[in-house]
Amino acid sequence: MIEGHRLSKIYGRGSVEVRALDGADITIGRGEFVGITGASGSGKSTLLHLLGLLDRPTSGNLLIDGVDVNALSEKERTAFRLNRLGYVFQDYALVPELTAEENIFLPSKVRGMTSKECTRACRDILALVGLKDRVAFLPGEMSGGEQQRVAIARALINNPALLLADEPCANLDTKNSTVILELLKKLNHDLNQTVVMVSHEEWHQRYFDRVVTLQDGKILSDGRPDVEGA
Amino acid sequence: MLEEEQVAFFLASRLITRGNKGTLLLTVTIIALVFVNLIFLPSIIAGVVILFNQQTIDYSYGNLVIEPRENELIITKANELQQKINRIPGVVASSPRYFGGSTIVYKGKSASPLIVAIKPSDEVQVLRTHTKIESGDFLSDADRDQIVLGRTLAGREDQKVDRVASLGGAGVGKTVEVTFQNGVTRQYRVKGILYSGTSATDSNAFITRKEYEDIMGTTDAANQILVKTRTTGDEDAMRITLMQYGVQEQVWTWEDKSADFLKSIVGSFDIINFISTIVSLIIAIVIIFIVIFINTVYRRKQIGILQAIGIDRSIIIKSYIFQALFICACGTAAGCVLLLLVLQYLTASPLVFPGGPVAPVLELSLVAEAVASLFVVSLIAGYVPSWLTTREEILSAIRG
Ligand SMILES: Nc1ncnc2c1ncn2[C@@H]1O[C@H](COP(=O)(O)OP(=O)(O)OP(=O)(O)O)[C@@H](O)[C@H]1O
Ligand SMILES: [Mg+2]
Repeated sequence: MIEGHRLSKIYGRGSVEVRALDGADITIGRGEFVGITGASGSGKSTLLHLLGLLDRPTSGNLLIDGVDVNALSEKERTAFRLNRLGYVFQDYALVPELTAEENIFLPSKVRGMTSKECTRACRDILALVGLKDRVAFLPGEMSGGEQQRVAIARALINNPALLLADEPCANLDTKNSTVILELLKKLNHDLNQTVVMVSHEEWHQRYFDRVVTLQDGKILSDGRPDVEGA
Repeated sequence: MLEEEQVAFFLASRLITRGNKGTLLLTVTIIALVFVNLIFLPSIIAGVVILFNQQTIDYSYGNLVIEPRENELIITKANELQQKINRIPGVVASSPRYFGGSTIVYKGKSASPLIVAIKPSDEVQVLRTHTKIESGDFLSDADRDQIVLGRTLAGREDQKVDRVASLGGAGVGKTVEVTFQNGVTRQYRVKGILYSGTSATDSNAFITRKEYEDIMGTTDAANQILVKTRTTGDEDAMRITLMQYGVQEQVWTWEDKSADFLKSIVGSFDIINFISTIVSLIIAIVIIFIVIFINTVYRRKQIGILQAIGIDRSIIIKSYIFQALFICACGTAAGCVLLLLVLQYLTASPLVFPGGPVAPVLELSLVAEAVASLFVVSLIAGYVPSWLTTREEILSAIRG
């Protein structure tokens, strides 16, 4: 599914360079639910940006779904993001002028789905994330938890091979965080959706199949989560 | 390919209808004002130019002016020529005139105006001077001892307010003494005062042809024949028609004859007009560009996110172009309405220039030009910022 080899991201030049990611090797299989943790500044977001094709590594190879994504042009990378990836941001990143439904079907509309197909897919997915009655709501009219579920629905609309989420619960309280985590778990379990999620919360770990811990841009540990609390 | 436009249009329509109404209104208002500014002054100037030209036609020359053949001082067989001209298709009427220098004395004050001798019944069919009699009456064919004075010539009693030498207030019913070029002196009763607003005409004195012929001992001649044609604007073609019909005298258009200073005024107006149009256009371009640019840059983060979720930059750029075009179209429409209101107001209560009220003239070509340039500007103003924003790295756009 994902094969990252010696991935590095270096910011700045010369003496002030920052090694945000420093030769990380990471392999993720289909259907895994992987958590990425580590201290602030350890490179979690940087790694996710690379996996989400929002940034290019300074060096290293990255295969996603068998595609060498570094070799793609910008236009091809955009199409890859649209067709193969779903990305969930910490601050939801919905278009405030679009309703829940419109936000969700925008990526499928771009793929050329008819309005009818869009609406149908939308309704299904809103039911899946438990927001059937929020179809026509604007982001400003929804709670943070609801907005994040809309964002997840948007990420799922094109049946991505890989769902990426960078601290999707950071702005939410425990109750809403649980809803989001349960949702991601359900997607992973029921639909065999591959999920990679960044989180620095200890208690999130019990949802993950596997936890990758970063430190100073390097992988510190990689394995089954500590679930003594579970 | 059309799918892209559909998505772009969908996005643009939502961003506009659900976006900030205040900003939208402000932007549309600015474009409307810029549009009015672009059209307003030129349409006033066009009105002034048309007024000047119309005055030249109405009070000085008619449409065409016939003058003696080359190397001749006078048109002979004027009646025959007049009748010939009147039969030419497209000619409405013609009026043979004499003119010559004179000295007029009134109460010890004297002036040396041009005496114009006309046959009133012909003259009224060609010019409109008879409608501009300020006091008294216009001449009639049988008048012999009557004279019509231009207001500038007649002057006012308080000569300080006259800017040129005048007769110091020779009013209707007063008697003036006129000495002609050949030395003959006669007394005339002032029958009317003419105020046409055209300075050359208002400095002249008018008597009948009969009287003039009697004094000068000529018959059936003229210094010029003024011709009125059915339509204004095709004088050049009419001039050729006249020559084709065998008029061997020199034929000029009113434009040829119109005084140099008028030509230079009109010329200056054209330059002012041109500069003002260019300046307004540049202001319009800059303002619209800035407003739409800010609007787009303001959405930088959103543009980054759209790209992050896989929306191609060409769709994003197109949606911003659509938005800009829509805003521009609204602004132009609002501008048109505003402009029509202003023009309507100015038509109802016109600006008064020396020589008459000026009705603004809306030149459709200018409006089309303005609309086209605003269209192009908004195209650019929609394109450049979204192109720049989508070109930058997604992460830095998202960070805002
Ligand atoms: N655009 C940038 N320019 C320079 N340095 C950067 C840039 N982005 C990130 N960094 C640096 O790279 C390192 C890793 O950043 P990253 O955002 O991946 O950390 P993180 O693990 O996500 O931290 P957090 O938990 O606070 O989100 C940090 O030291 C950060 O300062
Ligand atoms: Mg981070």
